[in-house]
Amino acid sequence: MAVREVRIYPDPILKQVCTPAEVGGAETTAIITDLVDTMVDAGHSVGMAAPQIGILKRVAVVDVSHSKLGKKHNHGLLTMVNPEIIEASGSKVMREGCMSVPDYTGNVERAREITVQFSDADGSERVVRCKGFEAVAIQHELDHLDGLLFLDRVSNPKADIFRRKG
Amino acid sequence: MQHFALTIIGRDRPGIVSGTAEILYHLGCNIADSSSTILGGQFAMILILSHPEIDDLATIRQAFTELEEQGLSVFVRALKPGGEKRPQLPGEQCMISVYGSDKPGIVYRVAKKLSDHNINIVDLNTTLAGSEQRPIYVMMCESVLPQDMDSDDLKALMDKLSSEISVDITVRTITPVEL
Repeated sequence: MAVREVRIYPDPILKQVCTPAEVGGAETTAIITDLVDTMVDAGHSVGMAAPQIGILKRVAVVDVSHSKLGKKHNHGLLTMVNPEIIEASGSKVMREGCMSVPDYTGNVERAREITVQFSDADGSERVVRCKGFEAVAIQHELDHLDGLLFLDRVSNPKADIFRRKG
Repeated sequence: MQHFALTIIGRDRPGIVSGTAEILYHLGCNIADSSSTILGGQFAMILILSHPEIDDLATIRQAFTELEEQGLSVFVRALKPGGEKRPQLPGEQCMISVYGSDKPGIVYRVAKKLSDHNINIVDLNTTLAGSEQRPIYVMMCESVLPQDMDSDDLKALMDKLSSEISVDITVRTITPVEL
């Protein structure tokens, strides 16, 4: 149990692809604990992925239930081991920021609704359908597992304004 | 370190950015903050520069003579100390979309309402869209509210203004989410 240092870009670990974590293993449990501790310690943070604390394993945690934007639709604390988005639909643009990229924000388009499959902390299989801010937060954290930062997905704000829907 | 504000505008063509960046690179200037876009047929660049040694305007200006001879307007000014620092604006951030049939005073009336309520505009784009026969004016205004105000207050203000000047106005919060 420990609050870890949050890695800041250009730390090269943030641009690497993570390897699968051992489901139900002691190491995985320890990663989850540290992720939750670090996320909680960061106060307003709603998610944390293993590379952000220097571990290249496919583990991420998300909890938007304490955030104003996530109040309506959330599943509380999600501890995701080897998560995969198996379905995505709709689109939603939010201005994102990231603890690993301080002092920069940008508009990012994400799916509005997703279905994510993962192993839980205790090793059980879960399939969860999420929408809104929770869906955005999960997509942001899962990107970290593939070495992607929101900077890789920033869309042109002007293009968003004038693009027709449909 | 001395900071400078540089603005460049001229008929758009490929090579304006590289021409500018080349001069700055050879001068040893840092581009600390910049925004550039195409407006009408003109390309406009706004940059905040810094240089570890050069502190006189003349040296910077001199370096752009050649670019000016290519038909670009170049303006440089020296910033007062601290002028390069972005102010911390803690309030809620809102995007205000304003659009309607083109008529005089849209930008003025919206901006006046905002400034009367101490709302800070941090980004503004306006353009004429639609067809020539039926032009529509589009204004996208990003603002930071004072701390004693929230997006519902701004919505109420803009709803009132919307009926006064007969344009559509919507307000949405765009305060960044830290993930």
